[in-house]
Amino acid sequence: MGLDFELSDEQRLIKQTAKEMLAPFLARREEYERLILKEQKFPQELWNAMAESGFLGCLIPEQYGGTDTGLLALAFAIEELARCGFGNALTVVTAMDTACIVRNGTAELKQRFLPGIADGKIKLCFALTEPNAGTNTFRIETLARRDGDDYLITGQKTFITGADVADYMLLVTRTMTRDELAAKGMPKAFGLTLFLVDPKTPGIELQPLPTRGIEGFKQLAIYMESARVPATNLVGQEHAGAMALFNSLNPERILAAAMACGIAEQMLDRACSYARERKVFSGQPIGKHQAIQHPLAEIRIRLEAGRLLAYQAAWAFDAGKHPGVVGTYSNMAKHFCSSLALDAVDRAIQTFGGYGFSEDYGIIYYWDAVRLLKTAPITNEMILNYIGEHVLELPKSY
Amino acid sequence: MKVVICIKQVADKDARLKINGAATWIEESELAWAINEADLFALEEGLRLKEKHGGEVVLLSMGPARTQEALRKALAMGADRALHLDDPAFEGSDVATAARIIAKAIARDGFDLALFGVQSDDLGSAQLAPRVAEHLGVPHAAIAMGIAVDAGSGTVTVKRELDAGTLEVVALNLPAVVSVQLGMNEVRYASLKGIMAAKKKPIAAIKAADLGLSAAQVGAAASRTQILKVGFPSAGEKGKAEIFGGPPAQAVAALIEKLRKEAKVL
Repeated sequence: MGLDFELSDEQRLIKQTAKEMLAPFLARREEYERLILKEQKFPQELWNAMAESGFLGCLIPEQYGGTDTGLLALAFAIEELARCGFGNALTVVTAMDTACIVRNGTAELKQRFLPGIADGKIKLCFALTEPNAGTNTFRIETLARRDGDDYLITGQKTFITGADVADYMLLVTRTMTRDELAAKGMPKAFGLTLFLVDPKTPGIELQPLPTRGIEGFKQLAIYMESARVPATNLVGQEHAGAMALFNSLNPERILAAAMACGIAEQMLDRACSYARERKVFSGQPIGKHQAIQHPLAEIRIRLEAGRLLAYQAAWAFDAGKHPGVVGTYSNMAKHFCSSLALDAVDRAIQTFGGYGFSEDYGIIYYWDAVRLLKTAPITNEMILNYIGEHVLELPKSY
Repeated sequence: MKVVICIKQVADKDARLKINGAATWIEESELAWAINEADLFALEEGLRLKEKHGGEVVLLSMGPARTQEALRKALAMGADRALHLDDPAFEGSDVATAARIIAKAIARDGFDLALFGVQSDDLGSAQLAPRVAEHLGVPHAAIAMGIAVDAGSGTVTVKRELDAGTLEVVALNLPAVVSVQLGMNEVRYASLKGIMAAKKKPIAAIKAADLGLSAAQVGAAASRTQILKVGFPSAGEKGKAEIFGGPPAQAVAALIEKLRKEAKVL
């Protein structure tokens, strides 16, 4: 009877480390909430703490300076960050890129990048989405052409979170156009190639976009005109980036789910504290009323289920399960937890009444951030398509 | 420089405590545990002494199997190895008996400096460190807010906290025992690297027989005090505890009023 829901001593210690690492920041919570959620400023001190504690090295083998503690350990930290109100999208994206480098990079590439990622010196963003391609990844048009020892890259990306603070972006390009593939009768999944590219490379221009929802970060459009990138920055095989890319999307979804759980817990804690204290009718706390109490109890039940699903997905990734298995759990977790988190914020706002919209209480700041999780890193509708097609084996619906 | 740090596993500060069925102690099942807070400051001081003077930081703790979690955490924070006084015969030891057992274990392993938290979060007698020092026949200083070791002369200078914010500075010959006050330093947390490294650090189990102690010399049998009853203070009774309810601002205002008018300390 091997099913054991108890965290190991080591896992409990890792959770405690996440809490203790954040304790000094929690003491300055209002300042950080304003900084991150309102002013969209990058919380460098928090990033440094994530590096010093070893969480940025969770996915990195010890020989490259990591802690090799796995995605579950990182999920604990991301959950705790979000619970404290310090959600940090760049930790999620950096982790996803790191997984891609660890699983697909050459030894030389790993040596160049992984130690710097583990100690916090190299921040990564992820550049896939284009004006005409996002979920339909194969339609990307950014083109990389070999030129001696380099590639020249031309194209446009959009909605790239944190490109202005990242030291490198994991850039998804085509090294063969769809026309070239069609002429040779090759599948559209072929011809994708991944590069690590410094956004400050000549020929690359960044333009901030007026978007909301990403805590502490701007989203940017990226314009590339014959940007020269050394061939040694290629991740995986030329033309064969599709599998490397798709397998790296799972950690992003798992960590998004963990973040959603953290936010849901925070909203629940705040709503319950308020409901215990706030008195409106006959001197009774509003938490005594079932209209307030029951929806919060429901959130609590769903939080338990969502967390288990997120942990199960992280466990499957760490255990090296087949990408299809990891994909199933991570998609389910992302779908379930993003809906949960949005409902948690909704119920917190409803519990707080008019104060739910007060900037002093700050609940309303979470509305944009949590709503985003239903749309990114993948829409919940695309997840249902995935479950329908790959788990239920129904016909592809789109 | 060999520093022994004595730590105790106690109920976590955030745990909701219940009284056990016999009303003799808190209900321990399903309880979250933590390292006694003052002991963390002692550990931090020990780790700093090692960083400065070299040597070894050895942990010592008495308690059942669950104590290993506390030891593992302290190892993850940077201690080198641990001694676990793990014997059912130790159960029910009062502070006097515990001091005899712990002193034996420290003497057996050897030490230059033994650091304790000033008191435990649960029983809070603050007697363990001075009692252990007496058994070991070494000097002792309590409530340290600063510790400086001079390896050349073999002494330790301790700044002790006295009443009204005054400090007393004393010098002790090593080996010595010092108890550490809360807030003496800034306690580090266990990094993930530390947690991974701790998996390979040894925890040695010590039984009563290893210390040359018989069953009659340890545990409840050897203890002259016993806890008869444990309960929550009843709110509102004059001269006893009072719990200030309501919103924080209101509770704080009521507390300040009492401190001013009744306790007359403000």
